[in-house]
Amino acid sequence: MNVNVGDKLLGYATDPGIRNRGASGGLVTAVLAAALERELVEDVIVLKHINEYEAVPIITDDVDEVLASTGSMHTVPVNLAKHATGKKVAMPGKPCDVRGVIEQAKRNEIDIENTYIIGLNCGGTMHPVLTKEMLINMYELDPEDVVGEKIDKGKLFFKTQDGEEKGISIDDLEEAGYGRRESCRYCDVKIPVNADIACGNWGVVGELAGKATFCEVMNEKGVRLLENAIESGYIQVEQAGEKEIAIREKVNSAMLGLVDKWTEKIFTDIPLQERMKYYMEQFADCIDCGACKEACPACTCKEESKCTMYHNLADDYKMSMYHMVRLLHLSDSCVGCGQCSDVCPVDIPVTTIFRRFADPAQKKHNYKAGMTLERPPFLEVMLK
Amino acid sequence: MKESVYQTYCPGCGIGCGLYIRKDDKGNLSIDYMKSSPANLGKLCRFGVTLAHHYSEIKTTVTGSEADVEDAIKAAEQRIQSSDSIAMLSVGNTCNEEHMAFTRIADTLDTKVHTGLSIYNELASHCHGYLAGMPFAEMEKAKKIALFVDPYVQYPLIVRRLLIAKNNGAKILSVGTKKLNLADENLPLEPDEYETLEIDNESLIIADIHPNSDDDHIKRLIALAQETGAKIHFLRPFINGAGASLIEKEKIGNMSLAQIMEDIEAGNIRTLVTLDSDPVELLPDAEAAVETLKKLDNLIVISSRKSPVTKLADIVIATEPVYMKAGTFISVEGRVQENSGEGVDGIDAMSLLNGELGGKTFDYQQMHYRVKKCVENAEKEMAGHTDNKASDCVSDVKEVSRSVPEDMYELSYLYNPFMWFDQKDDNDFVIIDRKLVKELGLKKGGMVLLSSEKGKIRLRYMLSDLPEGLVLTAKKLPIATGAITNVSMEGC
Repeated sequence: MNVNVGDKLLGYATDPGIRNRGASGGLVTAVLAAALERELVEDVIVLKHINEYEAVPIITDDVDEVLASTGSMHTVPVNLAKHATGKKVAMPGKPCDVRGVIEQAKRNEIDIENTYIIGLNCGGTMHPVLTKEMLINMYELDPEDVVGEKIDKGKLFFKTQDGEEKGISIDDLEEAGYGRRESCRYCDVKIPVNADIACGNWGVVGELAGKATFCEVMNEKGVRLLENAIESGYIQVEQAGEKEIAIREKVNSAMLGLVDKWTEKIFTDIPLQERMKYYMEQFADCIDCGACKEACPACTCKEESKCTMYHNLADDYKMSMYHMVRLLHLSDSCVGCGQCSDVCPVDIPVTTIFRRFADPAQKKHNYKAGMTLERPPFLEVMLK
Repeated sequence: MKESVYQTYCPGCGIGCGLYIRKDDKGNLSIDYMKSSPANLGKLCRFGVTLAHHYSEIKTTVTGSEADVEDAIKAAEQRIQSSDSIAMLSVGNTCNEEHMAFTRIADTLDTKVHTGLSIYNELASHCHGYLAGMPFAEMEKAKKIALFVDPYVQYPLIVRRLLIAKNNGAKILSVGTKKLNLADENLPLEPDEYETLEIDNESLIIADIHPNSDDDHIKRLIALAQETGAKIHFLRPFINGAGASLIEKEKIGNMSLAQIMEDIEAGNIRTLVTLDSDPVELLPDAEAAVETLKKLDNLIVISSRKSPVTKLADIVIATEPVYMKAGTFISVEGRVQENSGEGVDGIDAMSLLNGELGGKTFDYQQMHYRVKKCVENAEKEMAGHTDNKASDCVSDVKEVSRSVPEDMYELSYLYNPFMWFDQKDDNDFVIIDRKLVKELGLKKGGMVLLSSEKGKIRLRYMLSDLPEGLVLTAKKLPIATGAITNVSMEGC
């Protein structure tokens, strides 16, 4: 079967083992394994399973390690972009992973031609510790009994060892302070159209529900990825029907509807005269760990960076140069992935602060970071 | 490309922050965030974020020359057998199983392992519950918190717990240190003024214990807890400080570091055996520590990383880095946490040494089993003490007797992970009071000259509101003579 840019396909792994172990028919795992086996890439980035709530990214050239990797996990809010720097790799990625890769590529840290990205639809991820707390408090389940989770029709379901399935509305969970991470609630890229192929289970209905992946081919690299996997016998695909395409779009629209609600709720207006005070207060408990920079998938500066170069612990400015420089830097590169908030040791909502600062400028320039290589970062263009 | 990923805990302090250490096929290390870790949710302080720099390759040596482990163990055995005044030191920088193995050697030598904490000797055993720590959830529930540490610098991962407590309505009082953003009040109180804190049985006192702690200060705080019914939580440095005090505690000697150094100076200790414990890094006056250690006949170091004491040692027995070890650690919350590593080089080396010394050999599984038993016993024993209700714990508390000469200031160490391991950080400055800036006529961006009996040093300064006469530093300074040093100051 010929694959073309723009194709919308349904596919699954041909190997029953991969099909049953991987999520949604194991297509993503199979495509990654094929890319490695047939030397389309030298390495693959995958998540190594630690437990039901934790996985850790690893880079491997071992097909068996790829096949043993974990599938999509809602409780593993990592960003894989920085793992791809300087390598010829294939990787899965949520929209924010892909956006991070593109920001790295804009700054010449990633050769996008040598980086194959299998995008994964994402309605949002959850923090593992809060998820366990939520299971106890909201679901009345023992976190250790849980063997799987899924999102369906606006509800988050957990399955236990004895086969019991319990679902609660995501709205209700989030109103109670659980559910998706804050940055995921206002993230407005749910289908990774910036990847080489955009995959997910949205739109997979009927007999194939849960057994196949909906896959949109976004560019020529996506064609190569899929053809490579088909030729090597790793996957089978067929064209998606209008019904499947329409359902996928409907799910996406519903997710984006939630985004509008949360955006309005979180980004309340701060009067001009109070804005400086707001930023100073938000950063007042900062302990200067630098974790927000280290975890940022858009940052390519390494040790010699603008934000740290003019900053010293002994400085007692009302707001540190570190934060001032990062606010500016992130105004045209923040992809809103939430990593900085996740790793902040004093719980500063860093992502939301950066998004608040970046959004007006990005809107003004009709610019969304990490979506395409076609447009360079506007701030750097202006500085030239 | 083949990466190894180790699930481990930050060695910087006793909070027990989980993290991953990633090792690529060229041996390069990097960290990754373990977001499922309940102690820290994957969050790390500036020490943890730069942790890859902490680990340094170490080689087994005999009198400075590289050697096989077996040869080093034989040499160690000969030196130990020929000495009759031995001290052993393990402050808690390694896993419980290695600490247990170290106590086996102490048993064979009919001696004890010292943890550097003498406070355990100062309190009756039924009062040790006050030192045991407690879950951070207790911190979040307290109505009033009296802080005797600077959490931002010393134990950064409790800042978020304190902020949660504050959101829950707690009032936070910072006592005797610099102005803290999260504190409702910063109080420069002397010990005889602690009653003005008005704490009660819904309050929590937070302080720390470490090898340079002032035992009288700790006793005063315990007395305060007893009098008011407040809970007390002692934080600790080192990955396993809590484990070192708990595992085989009847075999723990509890000499302070200062006492050990005094005994070396007096010739009462002629051989020192250390397990991942470096007195040069730990003591406030590194230069004096080096001179004292040079007076030993035998300095035998079992260590997982290179540090100043490994340069001075007669024998170094190198073990794998802490993140690679098989073993468990106990956090200040009382969590028993286990590494994913499988390295047992340290255990095997100590087993071999114990065998050479005439004791029984052992393996990791035996040590691990013993550790589990110790933890179970300790849990049973401590169950009765967790409410901090033991009475008659404090006696013989000395009056505060600071003697700062006129026109001098008290330079005090804000002990933090970088300081405990004497590692480079962006902290070469002192923190001084606004009043002092005026007195010295200092200008923004200027320097201050500090002088003590050990010399002079020029440093940048940072402004804060401090108790009068106090100067703080988060960096070990060569002019320091102790945890507190009298200094004179001038602008320059």
